[in-house]
Amino acid sequence: METKCLESTKKLKPRGMQSTIMFAFSVISVSIMLVLGIVMYMKFSSLSQHEIIQNTKKLMEQTGENLEDYLVSMRQVSDAVYYNVIKENDFSGQDNDIQQGMNLIYEANRNDLRSIAIYNNYGSLMAAEPIVLQKEDINVTRQDWYGQAVEEVENMHFSTPHIQNLFDDATRRYYWVISLSRVVELTENGNPLYGVLLVDMDYSSISRMMQQINAANNEQYYYLCDGNGQIIYHMRQLQISNGIANESSKVAAGYKDGVYDETFEGEHRKLIVRNISYTGWKLVGVIPDSAFTHGMLNIRYFIVMLILLMAMMLAVIHRVVSERISSPILKLNDSVMEYEAGEKPEIYIGGSQEIRHLGHSIQRSYEQIDILMQKIVLEQNERRKSELDALQSQINPHFLYNALDSITWMVEGGRNDDAVFMISELAKLFRISLSKGRTVISVQDELQHAKSYMNIQKIRYKNCFSITFDVDAEVYSYCCVKLVLQPILENAINYGVDSMDDCGEIIVAGKKKNGNIILSVTDNGIGIPEDEIGFLLTDSDRVHKHGSGVGLVNVNNRIQILFGKKYGLTIESELDEGTTVSICIPAVVYTEDNRKVLEKGHIFGREE
Amino acid sequence: MNNSRKRFIIIEVILAMMVIVLAVIMLKEQRGEARRKVSVIVQDSDNSRWSAFRYGLKMAAEDQGVEVFVVSTGDGMTAEEEIEAVKYEMNHGADAVIVQPVPGTDMEGKLKKLEKKVPIMLVGNTVSNDRDSSKFPITETDNYVMGQAVAEELSSDYNGNLKGKTIGIVTADGNSESAVNRRKGFQEVLENSGVNIAWSVFGEFGESEKNALKNQPRVDIVVALDDASLTAAGEYSAAKDLHGAVLYGIGTSTEAVYYLDTGIVECLIVPDEFNAGYQSLTEVAKSLQGYFHKMKDTTLSFTVLRKEELFSEKNQEILFAMSQ
Repeated sequence: METKCLESTKKLKPRGMQSTIMFAFSVISVSIMLVLGIVMYMKFSSLSQHEIIQNTKKLMEQTGENLEDYLVSMRQVSDAVYYNVIKENDFSGQDNDIQQGMNLIYEANRNDLRSIAIYNNYGSLMAAEPIVLQKEDINVTRQDWYGQAVEEVENMHFSTPHIQNLFDDATRRYYWVISLSRVVELTENGNPLYGVLLVDMDYSSISRMMQQINAANNEQYYYLCDGNGQIIYHMRQLQISNGIANESSKVAAGYKDGVYDETFEGEHRKLIVRNISYTGWKLVGVIPDSAFTHGMLNIRYFIVMLILLMAMMLAVIHRVVSERISSPILKLNDSVMEYEAGEKPEIYIGGSQEIRHLGHSIQRSYEQIDILMQKIVLEQNERRKSELDALQSQINPHFLYNALDSITWMVEGGRNDDAVFMISELAKLFRISLSKGRTVISVQDELQHAKSYMNIQKIRYKNCFSITFDVDAEVYSYCCVKLVLQPILENAINYGVDSMDDCGEIIVAGKKKNGNIILSVTDNGIGIPEDEIGFLLTDSDRVHKHGSGVGLVNVNNRIQILFGKKYGLTIESELDEGTTVSICIPAVVYTEDNRKVLEKGHIFGREE
Repeated sequence: MNNSRKRFIIIEVILAMMVIVLAVIMLKEQRGEARRKVSVIVQDSDNSRWSAFRYGLKMAAEDQGVEVFVVSTGDGMTAEEEIEAVKYEMNHGADAVIVQPVPGTDMEGKLKKLEKKVPIMLVGNTVSNDRDSSKFPITETDNYVMGQAVAEELSSDYNGNLKGKTIGIVTADGNSESAVNRRKGFQEVLENSGVNIAWSVFGEFGESEKNALKNQPRVDIVVALDDASLTAAGEYSAAKDLHGAVLYGIGTSTEAVYYLDTGIVECLIVPDEFNAGYQSLTEVAKSLQGYFHKMKDTTLSFTVLRKEELFSEKNQEILFAMSQ
């Protein structure tokens, strides 16, 4: 687990500067937009909710007033029939006047009325308008409206809607009515008696009013119930009575005027209740929560769209801003990276003052580093050269001493020709040794130097060995480090053929092989023990039995200083068989330019 | 193109696409979704016997947010005419059809072909007389059970003593599933009661028609097994042309109720036509709204009406639906 965490942490690469700026800007602005959007939506939602409730209240107020006006007009009809017709006439002799009076009132209100009827205290029909046949076997005293009127004689009573069951309608239709009934005082044959006046209002007048306010195609609706919660009008009246739908009318009937919250069948909704005067009826407006959200749906989309558009715009702005901020830094970084990759670009200087200062500083530091590097390289070359010079300078005095010693005994022995030859060979030797102070000479000169040296040594050693030069002419024109063969030849004489009587043999060979020049010195001397060979090229502090003490280590170092570590000497030897020392140097054509390059310390083909 | 630029372009494109989708949704919301249209084809659709059914359709259409159109048809619609009417409605934008099938040759096969295009719901009766083998969803009151109910009410009125009584049976259509099963149910209950079914007529019963009821032999009881025949029989009875026979039957119109109210009809069985309209359209609307909704059969109840309880609170609702 821990390992996985570590691995995933390792995988997380540091982000680019522009991405970081843009990410930070985006997170901040998206958060702000979301908060703003939510706040805005909540504000709109609350305002819209308030607005819907206010509008509903206004509508209900208006409808309530219309209903009350309608009910008042029905009461007025009842009053008019009672005070202008019933009270003014005697039922025994003024039937026509009564009928006429009722007819006038009925005709004036026929759009809202179904019928007007007067019953006596036994339930017998005294008069009715319009004139229709009463059903047989009708006992009105058992009907609700009659009972209510008789129960409370001083009041007018509005029934709940019901089918009118009084008259025989030839059209074979049944009418849904609301009955307004009251006890009235009749006069028959001059005798007062009690009866019931019934005004049957056409239910369709009320249902029309209710249908009008329910016509809006939103989820809110209005219904009318009586004080007991009995539904008078509901747009889903039959669904409710069939159990398909439900309504909380019994609860609403208990409320006074106002706005109430309720949860009905799992849905939260607002109930607005308004009492209808004279009747105890309640006009109830129902606004389910979904009605609020329905109206808010477009606002919701609008806000989301606004957020998206702002996000698009901010993304562009953020990109421009982050680019402006990060661009100079990125350019500076790019130029530094190029510099690190080995190129030599101009360090970018631009952007704000701080970035410019940074660019200047980096540029200055790189310039100083360059200068210091050049200085170090120069110093290194100088050091190499001085080392080389020091090594070369070790050769000359030692050899000169030996050569002069040989000339001295030649002159002393009267061998003037030999002395002359010796001196002339010595002159050649020194001419090449000097070589105008050059370190690198051609292979030809080096071979000439070796020949001169061997001629001198042959005289000194009284021709007790033979020397053969077997060098391919093609290698003459290549570069060679000055005086590399002479110390090897010296070793071959001292350690190889010195102790042999006239049969010593030294072969100097030279050839080009695989792009390298191989110069070898082979003797048939006593050979070198195997354990000694390893020290010959490494240990310069060993005490030499013979010679100047400037050994093969010297030659090897010089070659490697000039050409690199992969070049130098190799020694192969077998006891009593002989020794071969090979020089391996790169095949660099001897030209003035190449010489200068090599002497400056630049090594051909070296990868450092 | 570096990664940062690519990412930026992708984000901008995604945001732009979201804006476009939202704009399309907003426009669609503003336009409002087109209401699905359901056509209803029943025989003699303007007759008052369909009032409660039509009111049920209207209420269901409001509740389900669909548009309903009742095709105006005559009384004697043939099977071919009905198939043509279904085709016409389909070709004129009906998303579903509610049909009261008329008996006819290969009516089921023809309707089945049409059902491949739009859903079809049957009302009132099935195509074949075997109700259980119906290939269509149906909303109806069990006709066989209603026939039984008429017989049971009749039997109950005579305390089960119907021996020697003569009965005449009247149906408007002799071959429809409703007529066949109502008659079957009625006859099976009275099979061993000793009652004598003197005659059984169907078709037109007008004064000039061959089947005029006044021309039928006198019976003690006339049973009308549908609204059309009940109102026709009621008219004969009101005109004293039924030779004093007591009338029983099944009806759905205010006329039928009127004859009960005036004592011409002794007992009236009223199928729940409001729910027939409401449930059939609701079921069809649900199948239009949900692709995976399979319309199912609905068997509705019926009410036994007697004159004494005609104006009870419950029965007033039946009258309310009929009076719309």
